[in-house]
Amino acid sequence: MNARPLISVVDDDESVRESLPDLLKEFGFDAKAFSSAADFLSSDWVGRTNCLILDVAMPGMTGPDLQRELTLRRHAIPIVFITAHRDDNVRPRLIEQGAVECLFKPFTETDLLAALNTALRVS
Amino acid sequence: MMDFYAGRGHPDDVQDVGENTAELLERLKRAEEALETRELNFQTLVQRAEAQLAGEKRLLEMVASGYPLSDVLTELCKFVEDTAADCQCGVYLIDERGPKFRIGAAPGLPATFNDPCEGLPVTPEAGPCGVAACTKTQVIVRDFESEPLWESCSIRPLALAHGFRSQWSTPIYSRDGRVLATFGIFQRNPASPTQVQLDLIAQVTHIASIAIERALSEAALKRSEAFLAEAQHLSRIGSFAWNALTDEITWSEQLYRIFEFDPQTTVTLELIGTRVHPEDIPLLNDMIERARKAVSDFQYEHRLLMPDKSVKYLNLIAHGMRNEDGEVEYIGAVQDISRRQSSEEALGKARSELAHVARVMSLGALTASIAHEVNQPLSGIITNASTCMRMLEADPPNIDGARETVRRTIRDGHRAADVITRLRALFSRKEALTERLDLNEATREVIALSLSELQGNRIILRAELANELPLVTGDRVQLQQVILNLLRNASDAMSSVDNRPRQLLIRTKQDGNGAVRLSVQDNGVGIQPESINKLFDAFYTTKSDGMGIGLSVSRSIIETHQGSLWATPNDGPGATFSFSIPHVTDAAATPDKTARANHERAARQG
Repeated sequence: MNARPLISVVDDDESVRESLPDLLKEFGFDAKAFSSAADFLSSDWVGRTNCLILDVAMPGMTGPDLQRELTLRRHAIPIVFITAHRDDNVRPRLIEQGAVECLFKPFTETDLLAALNTALRVS
Repeated sequence: MMDFYAGRGHPDDVQDVGENTAELLERLKRAEEALETRELNFQTLVQRAEAQLAGEKRLLEMVASGYPLSDVLTELCKFVEDTAADCQCGVYLIDERGPKFRIGAAPGLPATFNDPCEGLPVTPEAGPCGVAACTKTQVIVRDFESEPLWESCSIRPLALAHGFRSQWSTPIYSRDGRVLATFGIFQRNPASPTQVQLDLIAQVTHIASIAIERALSEAALKRSEAFLAEAQHLSRIGSFAWNALTDEITWSEQLYRIFEFDPQTTVTLELIGTRVHPEDIPLLNDMIERARKAVSDFQYEHRLLMPDKSVKYLNLIAHGMRNEDGEVEYIGAVQDISRRQSSEEALGKARSELAHVARVMSLGALTASIAHEVNQPLSGIITNASTCMRMLEADPPNIDGARETVRRTIRDGHRAADVITRLRALFSRKEALTERLDLNEATREVIALSLSELQGNRIILRAELANELPLVTGDRVQLQQVILNLLRNASDAMSSVDNRPRQLLIRTKQDGNGAVRLSVQDNGVGIQPESINKLFDAFYTTKSDGMGIGLSVSRSIIETHQGSLWATPNDGPGATFSFSIPHVTDAAATPDKTARANHERAARQG
């Protein structure tokens, strides 16, 4: 029944939270945005999410912190990181630690879609 | 004569005549003898006087040539003993600590007599010398045995035990009337001095006084010299005197030690040149030239290259004056600051590394922060636009959804614009202060601030500031930043120059067309013709540690002053950077206004 994959977006930036779910829905996914890692963890989307689009730098729990937390809780959710800090050292490290992709803001819809497809294939 | 008497005399008188003649002859003979004795005495007197004169002369020569005091006093005692026979003498110095007697010399007296005398307190109880010292009078003891006055004095038993019956003691005075010592003459027979003897005593005590005073002042001088030498050694400061006309140079012991020259060496400028670091020779020549030209005070830091290839850092301070012959003479101090210098160098290096890191870090952090701030709304804009496109392409198009994404796109566009506005506000300059100012004065301040840095870079700075330069209107601090920037650029451009003196010329002049010009000329690496136009671009730099914004900021400062800033290659090595800004032409540039401008500035600074 639930054919539409669920995509969760965790980002402290309002622009992203407002714009990204609409685009994801246009892609044909079901999407919901959370303003912090804690919000996401306390929601019922944790167990159902097929792919997580996660901001790297956030106040409180950061993206990688949430990644570790999910691993501890044995939630194997594929993660696509997004970040406004263009640091070429960050990307390989995050991928090495299990992320599917790391996109630098602003990213194109093509890149986003490619990353999501990879993630969903993995899952 | 006989015939004369015979011819006139009565025969009865012949007997008488004969007797008279014999008597006469006898008288004649006695007279002749007396004459001979007197001649003899006279000769003796002459000889004695000559000997005395020669002796005194010899003693004075000894004093003058700096013989040790004990040698002079020993010779003096021997001279008296030779001149006035049958006596022994001693000179008894007064040691202020006690006070007590110390034997200056007593060559004719045995140790059994001298030893007990050493250290006797200077009191009347000591004996005739004690009384002479305490009462400042000459004391004559004709006979210890018959004069009850001396029965209880310390010296009497000692004198009698050595067979001396008589002692004459005379105080030896300093020029200011203090008793420095006493002169004692001891004789085996009771005796009082004759006038000749008194004269002799007066003469030798005078000589002794000169000798003792000289020795005392020499000792004091030596003490103070030793004190100074020790202080110089401890502080690594040597001192020198240099006559700029004759090039006569006097060095302190410590300065010889700093330069590691033998103290016997005669110091010349050429000799100094052999130790001065080859790269600092131009600095030294420049210093000498300036010092010769005008009597002034100067300070220089330069290096020495020692024979073992080690480098010493010296700080030289000199004070110029005219000596009594009107010649220019410098007296100065030289401090070996190698230890301080090496720690300062380490500190300076660490500081510049830190500054470099801090600058790069802040630039990097700044860029990252700008990028982050702008990327967030850009990301929203692109995502919204992508969504909008899809909504419009849908069948039927989702117009309401598209409108909402466009609304969000516009909002994110404003967000990005706000970021730029905030950044501009952050970096915008405070309102420029405008005042009338003397560019020469502003330049001098910058020179004063950067002189030690320039000297540290071995740069010889020459300033040719035009007289009566008209005032300009502008922001003093901004213009000084430009001048400083030009000086630093020139200094940096010469940092790799080692085959010629690093010369920097800063010049001001009236430029015609109502402007004044300041130019900074270096003889450094120069500029490539193809890069001359890029020089003033922001972020263009030939320096490994520069951000390249100095010249572009400088140019924009000059342009806000309605002026221009440009660079030209020199005919020889190096480049010249100049700026020209309009000067005040109207009647407002009267001294009154200038004074007010200065006053206002002072008020602001206060």
